[in-house]
Amino acid sequence: MTLPDIATRVREIVGPRNCIVDPAELRTYECDALVSFRVLPKLVALPGSTEEVSAVLKVAAEYGLPVVPRGAGTGLSGGALPVEGCIVVATSRMKRILEVDLDNGFMRVEPGVINLDVSRAIDAEGYYYAPDPSSQSVCTIGGNVAENSGGAHCLKYGFTANHVLGLRMVLATGDVLDIGGPARDTPGYDLAGVVVGSEGTLGIVTEVILRLLRKPQATRTFFATFPSTDEAGHAVSSVIASGIVPAAIEMMDRLAIVAAKAATGLDWPDVGAALLVDVDGPLAEVEHTLRAAVDIARAAGAIEIRLPRDEAERALMWKGRKSAFAAVGRISPDYIVQDGVIPRSEIAEVLRELAALGAAAGLRIANVFHAGDGNLHPLILYDARVPGEERRAEALGGEILRVCLRHGGSITGEHGVGKDKAEYMGEMFNEADLDAMSTLRCAFDGAGAMNPGKVFPTPRLCGDRPGVYRPHATELSGQASRG
Amino acid sequence: MRCRRDPTSDDAVSGVAPRHVFEPRSHDECAEVFALARSERLALAVVGGGTELGLGPPPSRLDAVVSSRGLDRVLEYAPSDQVIVVEAGITLSSLQAVLAPHGQRLACDPPHPDTATMGGLLAANAFGPLRSRHGSLRDLLIGVSILRADGTTVRGGGKVVKNVAGFDLPKLAVGSLGSLGMIATAAFRLHPAPEAVATLRFRRMTPRDVRLLTTAVRAAQVEPAAFVAIGAGDTFDVLLRFEGFAAGVAEQRNRAATLAAPSGPPAEALSPAEGRAAWREHDAARAHGNACVKVSTLPTSLESLASEVVPRLKAVMADAATVLHPTLGLSFVAGDARDAVDFAAALASARARVGRGPGSLVVHRAPAAMLGAIDVWGPLPGAFSTMKRVKEGFDPDGRMNPGRFVGGL
Repeated sequence: MTLPDIATRVREIVGPRNCIVDPAELRTYECDALVSFRVLPKLVALPGSTEEVSAVLKVAAEYGLPVVPRGAGTGLSGGALPVEGCIVVATSRMKRILEVDLDNGFMRVEPGVINLDVSRAIDAEGYYYAPDPSSQSVCTIGGNVAENSGGAHCLKYGFTANHVLGLRMVLATGDVLDIGGPARDTPGYDLAGVVVGSEGTLGIVTEVILRLLRKPQATRTFFATFPSTDEAGHAVSSVIASGIVPAAIEMMDRLAIVAAKAATGLDWPDVGAALLVDVDGPLAEVEHTLRAAVDIARAAGAIEIRLPRDEAERALMWKGRKSAFAAVGRISPDYIVQDGVIPRSEIAEVLRELAALGAAAGLRIANVFHAGDGNLHPLILYDARVPGEERRAEALGGEILRVCLRHGGSITGEHGVGKDKAEYMGEMFNEADLDAMSTLRCAFDGAGAMNPGKVFPTPRLCGDRPGVYRPHATELSGQASRG
Repeated sequence: MRCRRDPTSDDAVSGVAPRHVFEPRSHDECAEVFALARSERLALAVVGGGTELGLGPPPSRLDAVVSSRGLDRVLEYAPSDQVIVVEAGITLSSLQAVLAPHGQRLACDPPHPDTATMGGLLAANAFGPLRSRHGSLRDLLIGVSILRADGTTVRGGGKVVKNVAGFDLPKLAVGSLGSLGMIATAAFRLHPAPEAVATLRFRRMTPRDVRLLTTAVRAAQVEPAAFVAIGAGDTFDVLLRFEGFAAGVAEQRNRAATLAAPSGPPAEALSPAEGRAAWREHDAARAHGNACVKVSTLPTSLESLASEVVPRLKAVMADAATVLHPTLGLSFVAGDARDAVDFAAALASARARVGRGPGSLVVHRAPAAMLGAIDVWGPLPGAFSTMKRVKEGFDPDGRMNPGRFVGGL
């Protein structure tokens, strides 16, 4: 089997323009937003329909090639990182909205539809799609499904998994599965719940039925500044303890505020920490919760409370928050975005621990994160030109994950395990847990062809006895290692 | 084994009597039972409070019942994190009693909270009126441990509300009806108990009134925590419950009261005692009679459901009550099924109507003697071959509640 043979077959399926083999063009697909890992795929296919995805996967199966699914490539865990000799199947051409049914609260879309375009399509009618990752203006629903993406507002509204009613997917064999549907409680196992967040290791999703929500009657936002993350963390705990379920509580520390100001020109003060809080719901309820939350923030030591004068100012505040990751590029030549979760009552304590770790490593850490659900996003700043600094930054990222685990948390709240964190899975789960997950994977993909080397710390063959290691086919051929 | 006792007639599962009953008091004891079952190749049924035990055909094999009721401890509770980890044999009421002093609750309110165990509710994907606002148990369960047929314990999820590490075993466990293993422990996200609660009742609404009210509530952006329609005859009493802070609750209730069609019945604002009694009627309607059928359709199919599906079921279920969840498209018809052949025919006919659009019809409870004649689950779901592989992977010998789940899994 040679590349021309495979390329010819794939071209016949997707058309010549949608089959990429030119090395220069392939470089676009050599990584996702985690740019520290790069692998050139053998071929990229851009199918336009479920049938084409199925046909491409059959060709891959016939030649025994691994398949790496890809959405918009905004993932931060290397979930769409190619493996040596693979076919990348990118769903970017499949971007049709297939059905909108507001009376029944759902929309059926292809995976290449951009997250924000879902809400835009129904905005005028007063509906929206709740999950809102920071990359929502570019990331696609297919990628959101793969990663179980969250966003600032999942504190109240949940993650992608809570908003997917059904899906159509293609297995590595080319078989097409319909899972769930617009009517609730399809008999059988909740396979939609399993596929969402499976990081492309079970198959390729080609249609998604999304749950739509009626917009809340009112949304109120406030921005509060604090002397340090201690007071801000205390304010978060107190707001939650008061019985308020805010739509979002975001925290930024001093470095993140400095970066966001530099990037957006916002006139935020130079303070130790800030919270951006959304409350939403029926107007009377919201006015009460806004007042209560503001009072609690003041009592917790807020220096200043700002209420946006209008929707434009509110949008600007959120723009400052959502652009904070990229803004860190203004204050550091390089940075790593980490993603870990801790119990939300321990924010202040954990941030002090992280600062100490950073100081010990001689690196700065900026924090901008979803405080309401304890989902930290430490940004580790470094300069790749300084010998050894990148390696120290990576080691610090790993230490941060261990801190999260020691506090009873998780190694990822929304970015996924991907390639980046596969090695830490064994610290969060034991062999029996991983075997159960592997069992589940084998029910979908017995050949281990879908996105190999992701999620699991070591390759696992279907039918393996627990605890007995045998090298995986890709490992034997040098395509993967046990690192 | 110390925790073994001889079975009584009460231990039968859908008419099938086990040879042994095990009542483990600790996780270790439970693991010993599973190890014994593995070496003796025993087919097991895990039983909690038994409130959802009517779901599914009779077991194809049953050697032993494992009762989870001795496993009822709270393992961790962090009020400030609004997370609790429990052994799955704890009842819903006991769990809520732990939370109430801290002003918190699990936002899940199926019938029989005093006897239903969390493990049983999870396995059956049980729910009550609060699902309209808070989702089902799949949306509240953040971590789980499962005792597999081979005696190993596996964990999925965690004990923080946000976590995407690894495959979502908690979601796989919800609604799996004990077919993959025993749900041993569960971690839930909690919600604040509301400061204020108010219930509105609209009497004697037609199905059309109910649908129009559903649309009007959505348009007005009021957000009821619960929304059900309970019918005995041809009309429905609709209950809307508002929860939250006092000012917001009163405003929503007042605004919702104006939303009924002018020609229809006026809204009644119920006193707290009247409200509690009205919601008990919901539980009673669901629990009514020897049989209960659950129907899932699109919410907009409410009228055709009421005119074409429900009458077919009521014709063979004496004294039937109907409960609609209009925002979810889920309904229950409960009553006394008298004749297996008639019941089976009515189910087939009702299912054919439901099958014209998206949806399903499942028998949640029926007399054991009728189970041989009726199709409990209906047509196989689209992804059944994958479901079968999941089952075979987790339980290769087919010893976990065999024969009761979809397609005989």
